Amino acid sequence: MATRYAISIDLDRCIGCQACAVACQIGNELPAGDTFTIVSDVVRGQAGSLWGSFAHQRCFHCGAAPCVTVCPTGALSKWNGLTVIEPEKCSGCGYCTDACPFKVPHIIANSVSKCTACLGLSGRVVPVLDVRSALLLKGGQEPWCAQTCPSQAIRFGERDNLLAEAKGRVAALQPRYPKAQVYGETQLDGLGLLTILLDQPGAYGLPAKPVMPATLTVWQGAVQPAATGLSALAAAVMGLMFIVARRQHAREKVEMHESVKAAPAPQPEETPVAGQNHE
Amino acid sequence: MSSESPRLVQRYLPAQRLIHWIGGVSFLTLLFSGIALLFPPLSFLAAGGLSRLVHRIAVIPFIVLPIVYAILLPKQTKELLTESLTYTREDWEWLKCMPAYLFGRTRGLPPQGRLNAGQKLHHAGTFLMFVTVSVSGFVLWFGKGQLGPNGLAVAAMGHDLSMLGLSVLMIGHVYFTFLYDALSAMRTGLVTEQYARMEHLKWLETLPPEAFAVAREIPKGGEAGESDIKSAAE
Repeated sequence: MATRYAISIDLDRCIGCQACAVACQIGNELPAGDTFTIVSDVVRGQAGSLWGSFAHQRCFHCGAAPCVTVCPTGALSKWNGLTVIEPEKCSGCGYCTDACPFKVPHIIANSVSKCTACLGLSGRVVPVLDVRSALLLKGGQEPWCAQTCPSQAIRFGERDNLLAEAKGRVAALQPRYPKAQVYGETQLDGLGLLTILLDQPGAYGLPAKPVMPATLTVWQGAVQPAATGLSALAAAVMGLMFIVARRQHAREKVEMHESVKAAPAPQPEETPVAGQNHE
Repeated sequence: MSSESPRLVQRYLPAQRLIHWIGGVSFLTLLFSGIALLFPPLSFLAAGGLSRLVHRIAVIPFIVLPIVYAILLPKQTKELLTESLTYTREDWEWLKCMPAYLFGRTRGLPPQGRLNAGQKLHHAGTFLMFVTVSVSGFVLWFGKGQLGPNGLAVAAMGHDLSMLGLSVLMIGHVYFTFLYDALSAMRTGLVTEQYARMEHLKWLETLPPEAFAVAREIPKGGEAGESDIKSAAE
């Protein structure tokens, strides 16, 4: 199994400076109005006992990604644990925008747009040996957000290493933040974005247990293949039946023709020849 | 008249035939532009939204034609709806013979009116799935981004299953047309009396004498040629 790469965000270290969001937008040359990462304030409590943190809204690179499941053209796919885009394949259908449990992908200029961990896999078939060479294709080293973060809150690397580090961080934080936890260890076969939360996921507006909706699995796994398969089967079966049925029909026409000829000539009005009575 | 030059009867008006063919072309265009999203080897047609553009153009005649039909031909529309939704004991008898009919045997079929039981069911299924495929299609189109995973899956499954049903009906429609040489009904509007006798005897018996025309030349297969149109119009 290929190495799984991931991004981790430590919300204890995040200072909410927006440098990652700006670097992302500029580094990826996003058009105005498009953005891959949004950092927002989370404030709870009342004056005197305020609690604050920052929420990062960006692609979670789900292990079992609903957007990849529903993508009809293969424009979205998994690559070494990351959810990547081949824009040349995208039809702009928008299924991913509805399927994503985090409402991350969006359609910009008729094509899907979201974080791809700065991987330069835009449709070209390249013999990618490791994630470093893939990143180098886009002229960078690590994703722009990880390079830019001034407080080292955002890291990029092998998922196993980042997960072990994150767990260590959580253990260190728990005396101060009892509800501190790693978000993304197991959800949806493990997310490719590991977030160190200081509170329950709900405090950050995150679903505690995001799941692949069963309806999507039924649609993609059963209904859609059945619709195409049964239509093709019907065409094939009817094609074969036609050969048999056509012969039978030809025989019947001959019989009908002969019964007309065999009818007694002196009583034409009683022959089965069509429509004699009308003349 | 001898049996060598069969007589012809009018089955469809020019407006009905025109609407039928435009509808048929728009349905097939919708089918194949839609398959681009279901059949991975064809997904290159979907890239950049090409198949979607074609799909959205083809849906215009698909939706508008039934309305045009109802406005231009109110009598025929009423007839089509009432006949397709009224079932009698004879229809049941006919359906019992349908397996043999599928294999080319018309002998033993109870005499049928203008529409046989199979055609009635075909029309009723088409009406129903025309509605479901249209509604689910517009939901997918205008609900994009607001449906959520379950809304998307339900609308897409409704669209897929409606098209499965309509495709099977369409395959059966083409099958019976060529099995029983009925194409002339939609090419020239005329069918041979032999065909009408085999398939729609009760309808044939209700026709006034003016409905009949004499074929001057009959191409093979019993289809009525272009030369027959004039005589039918007279």
